[in-house]
Amino acid sequence: MSEYDVVVIGAGPGGYVAAIRASQLGLKTAIIDKEWLGGVCLNVGCIPSKALLRNAEVAHTLRERGKEFGFSFENLKLDYAVALKRSRQVSDRLTKGVALLMRKNNIEVIMGSARLAGKNVVEVTAADGKKQTVQGKNIILATGAHPIVIPGVEVDGKRILTYHEAILQDTRPESAIIIGAGAIGAEFATIWNGYGAKVTMVEMLPNILPLEDEEVSSELAKQFKKRGILTMTGTKVLSVTATETGVEVRVNGPEGEQTLKAEQALLAIGFRPNSKNLGLEETGVKTNERGFITIDERMSTNVPGIWAIGDVTGQLLLAHVASAQAVVCAENIAGVETITLDYSMMPRATYSQPQVASFGLTEAQAKDKGHEVKVGKFIFQANGKALGLADYAGFIKIITDARYGEILGAHLIGPEVSELLPELTLAQRMELTTEEIGRNVHAHPTLSEVIMEAAHAAEGHVIHM
Amino acid sequence: MPTQVIMPQLGESVVEGTVTKWLKQEGEHIAADESLLEVNTDKVDTEIPSPAAGTLLKIVIGEGITVKAGTIIAWIGEPGENIPGGVSRVDLHAPPAPAPEEPADAPAAPIPPAAGRSRDLGFISPVVAKMAAEHQLDLSLIHGTGEGGRITKRDVLAYLEKSAPSPAPAPAEDRPAWETPGEGDLFRPTELMFTGGAPGMPAPAATPARQQQPTGTPPPAAAPGADELVPHTSLRRAIAAHMLTSKQTSPHVTTVMEADLGAVVAHRAAHKAEFARGGVNLTFTPYFIAAIVAGLKAFPTVNSSWKDEGLLLHRAINIGMATSLGEEGLIVPVIKGADGLSLLGLARAVNDLGGRARAHKLQPDEVKGGTFTITNHGTSGSLFATPVINQPQCGILGVGAIQKRVVVIQDAIAIRPMVYLSLTFDHRILDGAGADGFLAQVVETLQNWS
Repeated sequence: MSEYDVVVIGAGPGGYVAAIRASQLGLKTAIIDKEWLGGVCLNVGCIPSKALLRNAEVAHTLRERGKEFGFSFENLKLDYAVALKRSRQVSDRLTKGVALLMRKNNIEVIMGSARLAGKNVVEVTAADGKKQTVQGKNIILATGAHPIVIPGVEVDGKRILTYHEAILQDTRPESAIIIGAGAIGAEFATIWNGYGAKVTMVEMLPNILPLEDEEVSSELAKQFKKRGILTMTGTKVLSVTATETGVEVRVNGPEGEQTLKAEQALLAIGFRPNSKNLGLEETGVKTNERGFITIDERMSTNVPGIWAIGDVTGQLLLAHVASAQAVVCAENIAGVETITLDYSMMPRATYSQPQVASFGLTEAQAKDKGHEVKVGKFIFQANGKALGLADYAGFIKIITDARYGEILGAHLIGPEVSELLPELTLAQRMELTTEEIGRNVHAHPTLSEVIMEAAHAAEGHVIHM
Repeated sequence: MPTQVIMPQLGESVVEGTVTKWLKQEGEHIAADESLLEVNTDKVDTEIPSPAAGTLLKIVIGEGITVKAGTIIAWIGEPGENIPGGVSRVDLHAPPAPAPEEPADAPAAPIPPAAGRSRDLGFISPVVAKMAAEHQLDLSLIHGTGEGGRITKRDVLAYLEKSAPSPAPAPAEDRPAWETPGEGDLFRPTELMFTGGAPGMPAPAATPARQQQPTGTPPPAAAPGADELVPHTSLRRAIAAHMLTSKQTSPHVTTVMEADLGAVVAHRAAHKAEFARGGVNLTFTPYFIAAIVAGLKAFPTVNSSWKDEGLLLHRAINIGMATSLGEEGLIVPVIKGADGLSLLGLARAVNDLGGRARAHKLQPDEVKGGTFTITNHGTSGSLFATPVINQPQCGILGVGAIQKRVVVIQDAIAIRPMVYLSLTFDHRILDGAGADGFLAQVVETLQNWS
């Protein structure tokens, strides 16, 4: 039986990062995955979808904005299969990179389904049924999550899809109903709409991207409407049925009950943890009522020596949060200096068109918490670079506390705003105020000038508006 | 850039270690992997090798101090190299940031620093600078918990909360911090007293004198060698007021008995590993608390407060445990409803409250409502003491050092683990006989532990 200092179960952006950091710190490390290196993120999630979104944006520009840019076509053909192929190439390239990183860091990769068979023992069943046991002084659970399916609805992969089928199909639907207007729903709406599909989004809560600042949600709804994406909010799904030719989705909203028809339906209403059949009950690892593994700030479960990170812990189901947890976890195992994470300040991004990025408190949350709120806002329409790009929908909004100028959160919608977020999260982390951000000279012309101007606005002296 | 020396995690469930001896002094040269210090945890004693070759620039954590794994305990580098600002991440026992090197030139009143990089304090964020300016704070008094010891907004808020009470004496209930003899750390495993030989304990005198200075604003300009006036911290003032009030309120009498801890030591040895598996560090403290509970049940008058209109008998048994915050002073978190807790429950409560007391994470109501108090002065080697009553309670039990002593049992000479227990009581409420009855019950509970 092989024995390790650290055995990681799950090779997604949580697991493989934990393995690398543990190995860097001199720990003998193995990683187990039943399917692939890189997890959902690299294989069927964040990464391939970015390739599809890029294709969709080019497609949208050619289809809808040729005249504006002065391009004209006859018989414009959009081959979605090529987009899919490109997304697979991007994914393959990165997962091969993870394999290389495992080799480089002397991490043993074991393929198979893992199950805790004791406090320090993992039983691995390979695809061919062969079993082996692996011993680890420390075990990190990084098994991720899977999409929630509406009870009574069968995902057949043809008419009714989750993100998993949707991201791997080499055709796009003529029409689609997207159930759930979170990040995944908004991204597929952007992809399919870019290729000319008729997309309807159904959301139970009052806004699309319901967790974002209300002003951002309504701006996105406005931009989606311009692109021809129909959004139905405050609308409950009653049933989803596959028919001969497509799907029928029965909904109940502000306009009463109605039946929507389309070629495909995508379920994107949330995730459940992959915490079953892991042997958690037998080893006494505690989970919460929704099945997410309970951890402390060191990423330790209630059982010493068993740790958990990423989606399975249900903190924030985002790849970069899993990776951040992974580093903290490995450092705690090695006993070296580390930090604790402030989950409320983690960056969040949605790669729709326009993009949405945010962190911290929304304006409403900041007021609810009793802060004396100051808001600095600036629009991309007044930014030279955005105008040059012909991509100027949206704005940046910085929320601060008036007393000490502390940054409480920021909400961005517009071109490439996910790339603009780190300046603001770093500022928050180092407790800088909008005064320092405003004084920081930003290159001209850049999209980042909108951050500087929003900071000036918070200080009460916006320059270019 | 100097290399950090970090308290390692010396075992799976071991999350803290005590620096027992520095094998090199500041300024000495050390080779990589040469032994640098000795560390003691509740499981092992071990020597820690140096992570790098160079000069031991600074010892951050002095001998005898317990810190969490991951804490920066020293710096190694080239002579004259600058050490990144601030002190370590989680160490809360250690002396706070050293006082400025040139006291003679230091200003008498604190000037809140501006944002930016301060030579002594590291990076001061604009938010922290604004808070310091508004509250006229001397940031050198604030312990930083950010990366590399950076002072964060949270640290300033914690400091403000801690120093919130006004310096004027307030009602006793609002004064949790109070003095006891010695600077015992209630939660250090008492068996250190055995392995450590004579109850001398790691000598505080071995730490550099500079670290022994009470923290405070730099003293007023004075000629080198002259006496210096060190301003009081607000906590020190609060402790002083409370001590004085207590001595002026109750006529203190102290009675002493000794107990044979053979049964307790055996029970603890048999159950320590089992408790540890459940994540609980079983020290002697929960046994003493359980014995106090038994005593209070048998003698309810001890669980009371003097009122002019009558004796207020407390129905609840809430045991305060004096917890040292090092040089900062003392705090007394309270185990509420101690009579309803098993030994495991008491051990958990002791671990939890003690840990959070030292991390400055106690809730205000967790230091209120005590009906009796225990202080473990024995961890610093004291045999018996005359503790000061925590007003408005009736009594306080002082626990001395556990020592193997020669005793006579049924006319035979035996070596037994013995401890002196000293009960200070309010003579307005109790007379000697009642107090001794209670103390005898405590002794009997400990001696007949099963």
